[in-house]
Amino acid sequence: MPRWPPAAWSGSGRFPRVSVLVLAGTRKGLFLLRSDEGRRDWQLEGPLLAGWEVMHATLDPRNGTIYAATNTFVYGGTVHRSTDFGANWERAEEIGLPEESGLKLERVWHVEPGHEEGTLWLGGDPGALLRSDDGGKSFVNVPGLTLHPTRDRWNPGAGGMCCHSISLDTSEPNRIYAAISAAGGFRTDDGGETWTPINKDVAADFMPEDAPRDVGQCVHKLLCHPAYPDVVWQQNHVGVYRSDDRGENWARLDGNGLPSSFGFPIMLHPRDPDTALVIPEEGAENRVTSNGRLGVYRTRDGGASWELAAKGLPEQSWAVIMREASSFDSLEPAGMYFGTQSGSVWVAPSEGNDWLEAAAGLPPVLSVEAIEWPSS
Amino acid sequence: MAVVVVLPSLLATEAGGQKRFELEAGTVGDALRALPVANLLFDEHGTLRPLVNVYVDGTDARFEGGVERPLAGDETLRIVQAVAGG
Repeated sequence: MPRWPPAAWSGSGRFPRVSVLVLAGTRKGLFLLRSDEGRRDWQLEGPLLAGWEVMHATLDPRNGTIYAATNTFVYGGTVHRSTDFGANWERAEEIGLPEESGLKLERVWHVEPGHEEGTLWLGGDPGALLRSDDGGKSFVNVPGLTLHPTRDRWNPGAGGMCCHSISLDTSEPNRIYAAISAAGGFRTDDGGETWTPINKDVAADFMPEDAPRDVGQCVHKLLCHPAYPDVVWQQNHVGVYRSDDRGENWARLDGNGLPSSFGFPIMLHPRDPDTALVIPEEGAENRVTSNGRLGVYRTRDGGASWELAAKGLPEQSWAVIMREASSFDSLEPAGMYFGTQSGSVWVAPSEGNDWLEAAAGLPPVLSVEAIEWPSS
Repeated sequence: MAVVVVLPSLLATEAGGQKRFELEAGTVGDALRALPVANLLFDEHGTLRPLVNVYVDGTDARFEGGVERPLAGDETLRIVQAVAGG
């Protein structure tokens, strides 16, 4: 196992010490961006995994392994892993859904390191959750969610029926959140055996008025707060929501300053449960940034009000930001990150106060993850 | 005698950089399943993915029995992804 972080990233010169790694998954491979704790100068490497669509990539903080949820339209979806920071890759040997389920894994969307050693969670299409207990060599179905009793009332969205959000409670290893479009949010309290829908009071104006509302909502991104795990945020097809009780109840928060209730990504502040950033789009029928500008909006009061936090971003831009294409780090001040379908990666080293373009000209960015480590 | 299987570049990368394989196989399916990239060619239920084309000595195996097409042992199989995508 290589030393983490690698010695090669701790050299001298313009970048005396790498403190942050950004993994930008694109439609044409994976790109890595590295910077020091200032997060203003970035080195770009890539593409890795050429030929693969990288829906999401992350780095396992337990051992430095990079995991990538990868697809091609010919060979389907799989998970690649690298223990040497992208120099060499291995692929999952067994992955898929059991024949008796009547389902086939169409695409993979999100890979999330679990609490237990060697455990990974993998979300995919069609509304599927899989689990690996051997560090990504094999993935098996998690029937408690994939074959949930409400499944016959789930429907695909524009991106298929994707399980895109997998968010771990940092204080309770058996509690995990997952979200599927358009099935809604779910929570397990027993390590993945059983899953409870958590969609009370979450709007679904695309459903018939008399339809049951326990599932069927179109969550676009759901995140459990890393420091306040009872707090859960979501950007939904219909609004921005926050729960202070693990998803039991939700408050809708997209009035008071947001130009639209529609959007995909959401960023949280690692230490402040009342701060979140979203990037609204015009709406379901016109999925492009509102008012022709690349506008990030931030709340610092739990969603009671929102302010434009777009210094440094182009005022005129019809951008598209995918649901996986935003992230935040836990440095001081916290950094915010997002990537665009037009191939840029934007970074705000100061909690959204100002933005800089860390990379441009990439293929369409599908996912962004920022990983940092101590600079000592 | 062994059949020869030639992989396209993406699959060759996934096979550790090896583009050409010589192996013993009685059918097209046997040959494909013997490759280190078999789990990319077949889905989890063992069905050859629909956009994977296999040419046996220049002829599309799909029209000669598909994965059941018998091999005499001196053929060259070429895997070609369908013309699609963007």
